[in-house]
Amino acid sequence: MRYLSTMIGGAICGALCFGIWPEMWKSYGIMGGWITAAIVIGICWYMNHWIGVIRNPPGKLWVDQGWAVAAAGIAWTMVRFNAPILRALPVVLCCLVGGALAGIAAVPVKKHLALVRLQKTSADGGNSDV
Amino acid sequence: MFELLSHYYNWMGMSPASIITTVFGAFCVTFAVIICWGRLVEDFGAIGGMLAASFIIGTFWLLNHKLPGFGINPEGIPHPDGGPKQFGMVYQGFRGASPWVDMGTAIGFGLWFAGLVEAARGQRFKLVVESLPRVGAAILGGVIGGAIVGLVGWTGANLFGYR
Repeated sequence: MRYLSTMIGGAICGALCFGIWPEMWKSYGIMGGWITAAIVIGICWYMNHWIGVIRNPPGKLWVDQGWAVAAAGIAWTMVRFNAPILRALPVVLCCLVGGALAGIAAVPVKKHLALVRLQKTSADGGNSDV
Repeated sequence: MFELLSHYYNWMGMSPASIITTVFGAFCVTFAVIICWGRLVEDFGAIGGMLAASFIIGTFWLLNHKLPGFGINPEGIPHPDGGPKQFGMVYQGFRGASPWVDMGTAIGFGLWFAGLVEAARGQRFKLVVESLPRVGAAILGGVIGGAIVGLVGWTGANLFGYR
């Protein structure tokens, strides 16, 4: 059941992204694209990750709606513009490499920053609002 | 390195410059999301997530996916040497030549991979096995949603001259 809700959340996110984003960009240019990020990703994030339609049990690997957006982009262009799927492979590979590098780089930074924050909050006797 | 990469140009269908920009764009957005998003949500709750969506994704969308001319119409600003001009960091072939590869690929994989890096060594395989069905469900959902939105190209609506 939770997998079904994950699927539905992904479908809604993908459909919203590729139904709305090109049209907003065509109509309003760069500001349209920026606003679309605010409304589409904002709403989808709220539904999928804040409320929790995409299944993410604590302590497990994070499954982001980015997977759904990625799959939807490829499926959308394949259906609508007859794009050959194999041409996506090198770009996908580059994206995966970039994402993996960022993951490797960000984990130590994040750990360090969390430590710094912990020291900061405990230094004032736990009286801070944070 | 440029020559080495150029050697595989035809096989890959991407120029070496595109590879560099794609990897860098993917790196930037994923790093920002991993570092900032969780912290924003911690500090501001749901509002922080909305802020992150607009500021991080909106701004990095501009970096990674802005397109030549108006909209997804690559004929808008032709390159002097022929073909469309590429502005975004994440490489896109001109319309229909290659599928749309979103920076969501990098973000989804990056967050998943960051969790993997963070996990204890012995736990990793178990975590991957546990998460694969969820990833599969998210991808399947994305395929369904994207394909159905793509179908509007076949409904014959030609109201404003867009295909």
